[in-house]
Amino acid sequence: MTGFDIFAIALVLLVIVTLFAGIKTVPQGYDWTIERFGKYTRTLSPGLNLIVPYFDRIGRKMNMMEQVINIPEQEVITKDNATVTVDGVAFFQVFDAAKASYEVANLNQAIIVLTMTNIRSVMGSMDLDQVLSHRDEINERLLRVVDAAVSPWGLKVNRIEIKDIVPPADLVEAMGRQMKAERVKRADILQAEGQRQSEILRAEGAKQGQILQAEGRKEAAFRDAEARERSAEAEARATQMVSDAIAKGDVAALNYFIADKYIKAFGQLADSPNQKIIMLPIEATSILGSLAGIGEIAKATFGESAASAAAAARRGSVPPAGPTPPPPVPPQR
Amino acid sequence: MAEMFSTLGTWNWLIFGFILMALELAAPGVFLFWLGLAALLVGLLSFVFTPSWQMQLLMFAVFAALAVPVWRHFARGATEASKSNPFLNRRNEALVGREFTLEKPIVDGSGTVRIDDTVWRVAGPDAPAGSRVKVVRADGASLTVAIA
Repeated sequence: MTGFDIFAIALVLLVIVTLFAGIKTVPQGYDWTIERFGKYTRTLSPGLNLIVPYFDRIGRKMNMMEQVINIPEQEVITKDNATVTVDGVAFFQVFDAAKASYEVANLNQAIIVLTMTNIRSVMGSMDLDQVLSHRDEINERLLRVVDAAVSPWGLKVNRIEIKDIVPPADLVEAMGRQMKAERVKRADILQAEGQRQSEILRAEGAKQGQILQAEGRKEAAFRDAEARERSAEAEARATQMVSDAIAKGDVAALNYFIADKYIKAFGQLADSPNQKIIMLPIEATSILGSLAGIGEIAKATFGESAASAAAAARRGSVPPAGPTPPPPVPPQR
Repeated sequence: MAEMFSTLGTWNWLIFGFILMALELAAPGVFLFWLGLAALLVGLLSFVFTPSWQMQLLMFAVFAALAVPVWRHFARGATEASKSNPFLNRRNEALVGREFTLEKPIVDGSGTVRIDDTVWRVAGPDAPAGSRVKVVRADGASLTVAIA
């Protein structure tokens, strides 16, 4: 084999090896950094790329996709000295492959540690209750702090989420009891308030009822009084009219009224079904005597004919003097 | 060894070329194809005249090296940003030209805006919070803005 033979073989091998070294296909989602004699020169973007073999070398193959890293569990002491266990996730994306490659060693570890320390400082400045209820605020504050801190590394933290906040078991139990007690308290208060309300309503109803009744009575009394006044007035007027009449006319007219009423009353007594024995006061008989006066009035008023008719009527229905006890009637049963 | 190379012939070059091209499909790297093309070219030229096996090897080496500039010429379009989604993995560059409202004032050249539920740091002339800014340049994770 001559030198030329070997040269030809070596050249082919060299060309092939050189091509392999010089042609680089960068997949989508990655950026590759190029180091010329160990110094960063440029970044290869996805697609086919050529580098100068022998001088250039692929440095870092940087993932340009958004990545998620777990922030491991750690214990955090809150402002009110409760120890909670916290973990989370961080989403970040590299925008500058060169910075992310060379400004920081062990990028993921750096982000994790940075986030963990910031979780401690953010949550350590809050009370347990705040920590449990203000997760959004924690995330927001973490994002701002961590994002600003990682900016020299050419990447952006898009989101930091606290996943779990676990207080110690006894604390959880105490919180459960507290919540239960609070609910029981609320229920008790509500019940008591309901009772109070109902009692008040009931009492108010009773009061209202009594007031209305009293008002009714008052009204009735007023009306009664008015009625009595009216009747008294009417009586007075009647008396006045009678006395006027008497003043103008005969005193015997008065007797007429009395006798009239007396007879009516007597008639009622007589009509009573189970009382046939009537006791009359002695004086009453004398009143009957006044009936004689009626006759005279009638005579004076209606003349003789009426007087005789009245006399006839007297004979028929009214005993002339003194009460005659009616014949005893056997009891109806 | 010498016999293996000395028996290189027209047909072998063609077969070698096809194998390389097929390998390209199996293990994409886009330059086995060009090596295959070089091998085919050597095979075709062997029909025209009959070079020695050393010559054939040298021709193959030359064609393989020449394939690089040719390939670059054709591949130029492909290596540029893809047309359907030019901002794939370049979310920052997609923001250039868009307008946002400053969430925190730009003081001493840096402030923040809220974009897509995350906070971006922006650099630009001092401006109070709430003013409209336009992204003029995306440099890594930091955006340069001008007052809109």
